[in-house]
Amino acid sequence: MARPHIEPFCDRDNHFKPMRLLGFGTGMHYKMLSMDTDTGACSMTVQFDGGYKRTPGFSWSEYEFIVIEGELKVGDRTCRKGHYFYVPAGYALPEISSDQGCLVLYMYNTGEPSHEEATEHHPSAQTQLYHDVDSYMDIPWAAGNVAKPSVASGCMIKLLNYNPNSFAMTFLYCMTPNFYQDNISYHDCAEESYHLWGTSWMMQFGDVPTGGYFWRPAYINHGAFASEYGCIALGRVDSKLFNHFHYNPWSTPVENAERSEARLLARDPLLYHWAFSKDHNHPHSPKDFEMFMPRRGDENGHDTEHKSDGHRHDHWHGHHHHDDHSPHSHDHHHDH
Amino acid sequence: MTFKNLYIDHERSSEAEEWVKEELAEQEERFAQIEAAMEALAPTREKWYQEFFDRLLTNGFNLDGDDKMPIPESDLPVKPADRKDQVVWKYGVDSDDTPRNGKEG
Repeated sequence: MARPHIEPFCDRDNHFKPMRLLGFGTGMHYKMLSMDTDTGACSMTVQFDGGYKRTPGFSWSEYEFIVIEGELKVGDRTCRKGHYFYVPAGYALPEISSDQGCLVLYMYNTGEPSHEEATEHHPSAQTQLYHDVDSYMDIPWAAGNVAKPSVASGCMIKLLNYNPNSFAMTFLYCMTPNFYQDNISYHDCAEESYHLWGTSWMMQFGDVPTGGYFWRPAYINHGAFASEYGCIALGRVDSKLFNHFHYNPWSTPVENAERSEARLLARDPLLYHWAFSKDHNHPHSPKDFEMFMPRRGDENGHDTEHKSDGHRHDHWHGHHHHDDHSPHSHDHHHDH
Repeated sequence: MTFKNLYIDHERSSEAEEWVKEELAEQEERFAQIEAAMEALAPTREKWYQEFFDRLLTNGFNLDGDDKMPIPESDLPVKPADRKDQVVWKYGVDSDDTPRNGKEG
């Protein structure tokens, strides 16, 4: 059932717990923000004690993290607040440590937290996707109009991570002091946010302060919006962000989803009729011919199918192997 | 989530299995607390809704960015008589028992 609706929640109201999963060592404490009931994927506020050290290694899940306060050493590099990392599954990070302690937001996207001690990447790791950036110092704020219709001016973003297939995004966003936006919004995607600093307000949930958090499934109303003194937060969406604005606070998720469907019909009638035609209804997902067509470079009968449900080996952006003999698990069945 | 869907199959240890189970149990409690708190906020929220409607009549509704349009009073929505003010939906559409096209309940 994925993650439940956790909104609003403030981690400052809870105590840190010692991490007891193997591999993480001592001196790591966490507050759970949300967890996927199927996979164990989760988001956590993490406190590393002064003197903490973790061996080099990788996780079976992809994960992201951003330094909230203090300094974190990753190998020889000292990373300060605002430093963001995207780490593919199987990507071996060097030793991490903190001399004075630090606070970090961790997000494991496809499985529970895990740490396998290793100095080399797993053969299935898509190492080329790894990236990190000092998001406070090295990325300028941009207008928040990444989606149309857009948020009001005064809400700005810094894009940190982007999936060109699903349009999922990780981003920093801020609201300037006295920001307000008088509409109610919902999206066709789940949305997550953690307030790194400052307070914002939403008409359904009240104030979200520093340390405030939400995980919101698709089609749930939120807004109007305001921030008296401004705020900065890390946000994520799990697929394309589209702002469906309206002003009915009593509409339900099903009514909102049906409105999205009606708007899809109005906007893309041919696609809508094709997708919803019984003759063309695919029980699992429609087929993208680019992922299946024979290609001149296909090697040795390799299965070119591209499928992804978060639990199988996936070529999300092309065709790349580190090891021709790496295991595959393309076990979907597409019935037509 | 469908961020980049990168996951490498492995066998989850019994220790990890137990940890996930405990965290999910705590999450159930956390959700129940949130749900109760949001139900308790309903009277305040009702005032916020009325203030929102007042601003729509005067300052206008944010259509797109800073483009705003005043909403005539006759267009403001009426709360359905049989519907409580619910803002937390545990699994979104899957936890919504609103009749779908009058066919499902």
